[in-house]
Amino acid sequence: MIPVCVLTGFLGSGKTTLLAKLLKSPAFARTAVIINEFGEVGLDHDLIETSDESFVTLQTGCLCCSIRGDLVLTLSDILRRRDEGTVTPFERVVIETSGLADPAPILHAVMGDDALAERLTLAGVVTTVDAVHGADTLERQPESVKQVAVADRLVLTKTDLVPEHPAVVLDRLTALNPSAPVLPVLFGDVDPARLFDARIWDPSAPSLPSPACGAGLGKGNEPDRHSAHAHHDARIECFALIRDEPIPAVALTLFLEVLAEHCGADLLRLKGIVALAESPDRPAVIHGVQHMFHAPGFLERWPSDDRRSRLVFIARDLPREFAQALLDAIEAEVRETSKVHTEADKAGFQPNGSRS
Amino acid sequence: MTQVSSDAADTVGLVHRLLAASLGAWHIAGRVEREGERITLAAGDERLLFARGAPPFRWTVTLGGRERGVTSIAGLLRLVRRVVDPEHQGNRLRIAPARLTSS
Repeated sequence: MIPVCVLTGFLGSGKTTLLAKLLKSPAFARTAVIINEFGEVGLDHDLIETSDESFVTLQTGCLCCSIRGDLVLTLSDILRRRDEGTVTPFERVVIETSGLADPAPILHAVMGDDALAERLTLAGVVTTVDAVHGADTLERQPESVKQVAVADRLVLTKTDLVPEHPAVVLDRLTALNPSAPVLPVLFGDVDPARLFDARIWDPSAPSLPSPACGAGLGKGNEPDRHSAHAHHDARIECFALIRDEPIPAVALTLFLEVLAEHCGADLLRLKGIVALAESPDRPAVIHGVQHMFHAPGFLERWPSDDRRSRLVFIARDLPREFAQALLDAIEAEVRETSKVHTEADKAGFQPNGSRS
Repeated sequence: MTQVSSDAADTVGLVHRLLAASLGAWHIAGRVEREGERITLAAGDERLLFARGAPPFRWTVTLGGRERGVTSIAGLLRLVRRVVDPEHQGNRLRIAPARLTSS
């Protein structure tokens, strides 16, 4: 499987600079890059030099709006050319989105195409944030908030232009997406391995939102309405549901189905590591973007001593209370149904109502 | 992190809490009240009455004098949403064909 990384970030946040630097690194050889630019004439691809083993292809228009199908065609095309030997046998794909793109539809395009799914796998989302203007951009541009919210890695760029890492923007990033490590970079210098080794569930990353997560969770896990940033992050919230006891697989499925049905569009990202009742020693990793989910992957073992189920939500206008009440009610329903079936089995009832 | 055990409340209590949270999540103004083993939800001109049902129905929902059976929480929420938020178009859960690289 060839990993696909999505590189996003608002206009001027340093995506192309970062990519240009990465492509000069031997560790980043054999990379196919798809650059999406908003506008009829693209320039970014001319600003990027690659080694002989990598190549860049360009799309214009906004990937997330009208030409999502074009992305699937482009990916199919470079795979075909790879098979034919007319391009380098690349080992990874990077999609650089336009600065105005909503990344969710792009992730859907990568995750959701049957033919591509046999060759490509979504490896992670890297989002660049400008250390100088990032806080202001997050304040004014909703697209930038979504770009941060869906990230697996956040890259703080232009740190050479500020005397120290700006607390305001770091606080915002942590509040919006506490599970994504923030990597400050200078002149695009960063170890590719640190960027593109992102996994959906990274044991080394903070597994839970910080107490200051989302619309401002203060001490004691109660919403802190006086949080300095509560007013402008009010629609996007990050929160976690935790369960000590394993969750029946059917309860998890029902939970995700109801979430997708009622809140799919607002579920920016859901990641989780789950102790299923049917597989308590091999945790299931779940990952979804809006209403589209990967089938769960199973780890060989728990990455730490913490064997609780943890579901991390980054969502817009989705109250924690709803998610929590829903999981509670569905778990109770499944356990109750299971108990009824067990008692019926013990009593020897047959499905047609007769006794054995 | 807030943690609520699924055993911490009775089933009617859990559904009462879920219905109240649902109205909030859907941005629907309304009121959900519990009286004994029955729950009433009022939103706009609609009033729904919920009670435990006899198998195979887990719940009965009374709307406009008509009682109907519902077999699950998912069905219950779907019915409520259709009544209080008829413009809503739900999404179906889609499982991506692409495999997850998690380890």
